[in-house]
Amino acid sequence: MADNSSNAGWTIFGYLISGMIFYGGLGWLISRWTHITAIFPIGMLVGLGVGVFAVIYKYGRQ
Amino acid sequence: MPAGRGGHTFHNQEETELAASVLAFSATNCSDETARHLGSGCGYPAPGFPSSFNYGPLFRIGAFTFNKPMLLATICAAIVVIFFWSAFSKPKLVPKGAQNLGELGILFVRDQILRPMMGKRGDGFLPFLVSLFFFIWIMNIMEIIPVAQFPVASEFAFPVALMVMVYGTYNYLGIKHQGLGGYFKNMIPRGVPIGILGILAPVEILQYIIVRPFTLAVRLFANMFAGHILLLVFTLATWYLLSVGIGLLWSATSFLLTVVLTAFEMLIQALQAYIFTILTAQYIGGALEAEH
Repeated sequence: MADNSSNAGWTIFGYLISGMIFYGGLGWLISRWTHITAIFPIGMLVGLGVGVFAVIYKYGRQ
Repeated sequence: MPAGRGGHTFHNQEETELAASVLAFSATNCSDETARHLGSGCGYPAPGFPSSFNYGPLFRIGAFTFNKPMLLATICAAIVVIFFWSAFSKPKLVPKGAQNLGELGILFVRDQILRPMMGKRGDGFLPFLVSLFFFIWIMNIMEIIPVAQFPVASEFAFPVALMVMVYGTYNYLGIKHQGLGGYFKNMIPRGVPIGILGILAPVEILQYIIVRPFTLAVRLFANMFAGHILLLVFTLATWYLLSVGIGLLWSATSFLLTVVLTAFEMLIQALQAYIFTILTAQYIGGALEAEH
């Protein structure tokens, strides 16, 4: 289906947010469990990286 | 209540200002926002949240309170229903008057929104999309109608309610047409190495399940919320700056900006209704499609 350009921006935003929510959330849970606070921000950064990667993967090859 | 009153310190500062103004002008009443003007020492009554979005109940039924945004939403729904009812209750072969206008609207939604996104088999969703488009548009237009002057979608619950309707529709259709397993499988991109798939799959699923409907509602809400604040800032400034002397020039500039921004908001209102509807069409179209 035609992915109109006004939606593409929001989809990209969505990927970045989704990545940070998922991996940041994972990091938060692990940091609560292990009491190592550094894991939460690391999880956020990993999530951001995955979000960027997802965007490149989806839109970078067109 | 003065708008934008933050914490205790600001409160004190305001009281200091008030005391100063009492000394200088002896009879200024700052509690009356409409009486505030440049030079009175009262300060600009800035619009903000929630002060510019709070409406007291018009009436109550038990614990349920009915306020202005609800009344406006009801009126908007009535306008859409009555207009299309009067347009198509006695359809004629050669359309004229309301029927002409109604056909124009329906053809616009069909040819610009539905067909490019869903193709011919999406025609069954035309009534849904037409009512969605016109309901949102009329709700947004309420922003600049005198007396109403409130975009209903700037209360977050209204776009959320519309989003829940759309979300339920396309999830139901997706599961019905692709099966529960196939629906989730289609969210994940094809031809991805298994290692990368494990990393990407949760992000993709989260994107489809939570972020996509959320942004659908937020986009409409945020645009209308910001538009309302923007118009308020310059309308209030026009009144606040109105005074003898140089303030008159500033007031005139502010008034000019109000007019320009009202025209700009008219564009945004139609655009947001269009975007909400076209994305709904795209999501439903994607759900109908077995492979994508």
